[in-house]
Amino acid sequence: MGGYLLKRVVSLLPVLLVVAVVDFIIIHLTPGDPASVILGAQATEEELAKLREQLGLNLPIYIRFFEWIGGLLQGDLGWSIFMDKPVTEAIWEHLGPTLSLTIMAEIIAILFAIPLGVMAANRRGTWMDQTFMTFALLGISLPSFWIGLNLILLFAVQLNWLPAAGYQPISNGLLNHFKYLIMPAISLGIMQGALIARMTRSSMLEVLNENYIRTAEAKGLKMWLVTYKHALRNAFIPILTVIGLSFATLIGGAVVTETVFNIPGIGKLIVNSVLRRDYEVIQGTVLMIAAAYVLINLIVDLLYAYIDPRVRYDKS
Amino acid sequence: METSSVTIATSQPVAPSRHHVRVAMNRFFANRLAVSGSILVLFITLICVLAPLLTSYDPLEMKVQDRLKPPSTSHWFGTDEFGRDVFTRVVYGSRISMGVGFSVVVITSIVGLLFGLYSAYYRRLDNFLMRINDGLMAFPAILLAIAILAALGPKMSNVIIALSVVYIPTVARAIRSVAITVREQTYIEAIHALGGKSWRVIWLHIAPNCLSPLIVQATFIFAYAVITEASLSFLGAGTPPPEPSWGNILNDGRTIMKQAWWMTVFPGLSIMITVLGLNLLGDGLRDLLDPHTNRAKK
Amino acid sequence: MIHVPLLEVKNLRTTFSTELGQVTAVDGVSFQVDSGETVGLVGESGCGKSVTSLSILRLFRKHSGTRLTGEIFFEQKELLQSSMEELQEIRGNRISMIFQDPMSSLNPVYTVGNQIAESLMLHQKLSKKAAQEKTIEMLTLVGIPSPDKRVNDYPHQLSGGMRQRVMIAMGLCCQPKLLIADEPTTALDVTIQAQILDLMLDLQKQLQMGILLITHDLGVVAEVCDRVLVMYLGQIVEEASVETLFENPKHPYTIGLMKSIPTIDGKRGKKLHVIEGIVPSLHQIPKGCRFAPRCPLADEKCRQHPPDLFEIARLHQVRCWHHERIGVGGVAFGG
Repeated sequence: MGGYLLKRVVSLLPVLLVVAVVDFIIIHLTPGDPASVILGAQATEEELAKLREQLGLNLPIYIRFFEWIGGLLQGDLGWSIFMDKPVTEAIWEHLGPTLSLTIMAEIIAILFAIPLGVMAANRRGTWMDQTFMTFALLGISLPSFWIGLNLILLFAVQLNWLPAAGYQPISNGLLNHFKYLIMPAISLGIMQGALIARMTRSSMLEVLNENYIRTAEAKGLKMWLVTYKHALRNAFIPILTVIGLSFATLIGGAVVTETVFNIPGIGKLIVNSVLRRDYEVIQGTVLMIAAAYVLINLIVDLLYAYIDPRVRYDKS
Repeated sequence: METSSVTIATSQPVAPSRHHVRVAMNRFFANRLAVSGSILVLFITLICVLAPLLTSYDPLEMKVQDRLKPPSTSHWFGTDEFGRDVFTRVVYGSRISMGVGFSVVVITSIVGLLFGLYSAYYRRLDNFLMRINDGLMAFPAILLAIAILAALGPKMSNVIIALSVVYIPTVARAIRSVAITVREQTYIEAIHALGGKSWRVIWLHIAPNCLSPLIVQATFIFAYAVITEASLSFLGAGTPPPEPSWGNILNDGRTIMKQAWWMTVFPGLSIMITVLGLNLLGDGLRDLLDPHTNRAKK
Repeated sequence: MIHVPLLEVKNLRTTFSTELGQVTAVDGVSFQVDSGETVGLVGESGCGKSVTSLSILRLFRKHSGTRLTGEIFFEQKELLQSSMEELQEIRGNRISMIFQDPMSSLNPVYTVGNQIAESLMLHQKLSKKAAQEKTIEMLTLVGIPSPDKRVNDYPHQLSGGMRQRVMIAMGLCCQPKLLIADEPTTALDVTIQAQILDLMLDLQKQLQMGILLITHDLGVVAEVCDRVLVMYLGQIVEEASVETLFENPKHPYTIGLMKSIPTIDGKRGKKLHVIEGIVPSLHQIPKGCRFAPRCPLADEKCRQHPPDLFEIARLHQVRCWHHERIGVGGVAFGG
């Protein structure tokens, strides 16, 4: 088990390096002079020179890369020109809403998707299966921001039940917090839920054909025990993979959802930074998210080992 | 060389006789998913090709006196805050969505196939390419695209570049995993033993086996690309206005949602129909082409 | 007092719906198994023997389009009409099954101990601790070394033979009255095969169980069975005591099966006998006798009219129009 963990962690290092290189390259793709792009056409030559100096643009690119990496290793993600503060600080200020939103969305997704996917698999071919799967197909075909817009039209504009946009931190009351987050979380969670439900169903269908399921039934176990104890645990590895991958989609979706609902999270920070051409913020935030994704998938790998003993004892 | 010709013959797809084509057609038409999916995709493709014939308005023409008109017989989907006909803009918007989606599919298929095949075949290359792949896949698709577009500037061609970079790793990985299982098969070893050249093995023996999964994957990539393009345009990072795209029409409509629901509903439905069609087609093709899921069905 | 068999299957028909239409995998099968008796069910793969065994406990997935008709009495209780709850009370408790492939028949994500104890806790209402103790006892009984350690092993950590012993322990832990063993030794090598069979027979004596042994291996049948049922394409074609069957087989198919057993004293140069042709698909069942297309004795009558099961002696039935032409030991065969 310890060896497995170590191997996983070591295998992440090259991936993290690639992530950093890709992130660095992308931002330095910007054609022309970033200083003049940032300051606009009316900037004076003096201002431009000062900014170039500040951004280190007069240094050769490889030196800039190593300086940047050196900074990263010391926890320095860069400096926000627009907000005039460290990128880490900006991220920290915007982290709460995004965490709340994505966790809530993921919980909603998992809570509905797995039981529905299991039911559909158990009742393969029935009207129930077909209805669930039609909804799941619709779920992966609807852009989350459009679901969000429709929810606003219905629950905020028409019925006036929920606030159309905005955010209240947990410190202003849990109920208030949920009232503002429920619509964004649903619109973000629907696609995740649909993906997880589809994977649960197909993975369960495969497992339900396995001989050990017949063995379990031959033992006289009740249907729910066969399904949830014997089948689901075996079917869970691909489901877990989708959940792990879904973190990326969730963060991506959060960018758009936060814009729709005007939530001051990481996504809003990135979109605003794009509009403000605050490149270091984009660079630092994107890097942080990619790194978080890599770590989440490490946790998923460890969960594999927990769920399936064959992974634990495997040589590779 | 007797044996080699026999082995090779079995590995190659049999020339489709008329009977085979008919069986394949029958199976296709018996698959409800594939049929309904292709009908929807065909429908959107027709709209996109026939756009100028479907409407007498100009998608960019502003008429201040017609601002924010609700749907009527003269403006089926109403008008926007500049008096432009929303139906016309949605119809022309299909060209952006389908154009971006199609271009992304072509680029990702070609590049992903190359990367997937060669990294499956050459192990040392594999290590290198797959680390890059893993690194790229660590970025959420929309974020990577936003970052690339922030650097390159919002333009349709840049959207295509950004989305291709985003989805190539997905295709490469899918192709690689199929190619590896094919590479491990005995007949490939036999060809090697008989002195088959690497490029022949890769392109004549491994590549044809990757075609079915590639087609299925490409269909789903098309669907993702359409959604992601719409999201990017909605955020203002994709297709720049006044060029109509479903995403930026939705963005225009967002601030005036209370007065003009039609600007939110119709472009969204168009995205849904397109993506639903592609997903249905993808599901159907997977049933038809992927023997693994077929077995699970029994 | 009338003799009541432990298990009595009457006119069982099992049909599946497939993409190509309805298929009858088991067609009018009737037989009995008594307490303490071992009945062999033999035939080539695809003849319906496994489906027959699964039908007894109705081990088919709901919504799979499987239809069962006929009657199955177990200890005078009709199983096909029972509720799922009643059936679950019997499964693994009064009737146990051991499956063919011990690799895939054990759940890979639970320890073998957990999988055996599960049955005990369910049917014998044992506490977790008592079930654990009984599990170790069962593992000892089936001859697994250091059972107190193996109980915490996962299936993939055990060899094929050990896994099959685990399956047997699982099947026998609740002391069933009937054991259905579907090719229990096929996946194992010969020495282990013999050990496993001996073990099953030993336990049978102790528990007085009836055993329905499904196999394609006539060697195994000769060794352990009291009576034999030969199946072909969903029907029983011959039923006899094991002595009668080997000395005086009456169905051309049975004779074909016998001839295809390799013998130690057989001449080396002699080619092994092979039954001509292949088992037809269940979608294209021959109109007359089902074996006619492969039978050297088949004539027009065979091809047109399906034969009944003729009772030619006490406890010896055969489904062949020409059974009278076949002499002792199948001598006139081929005439």
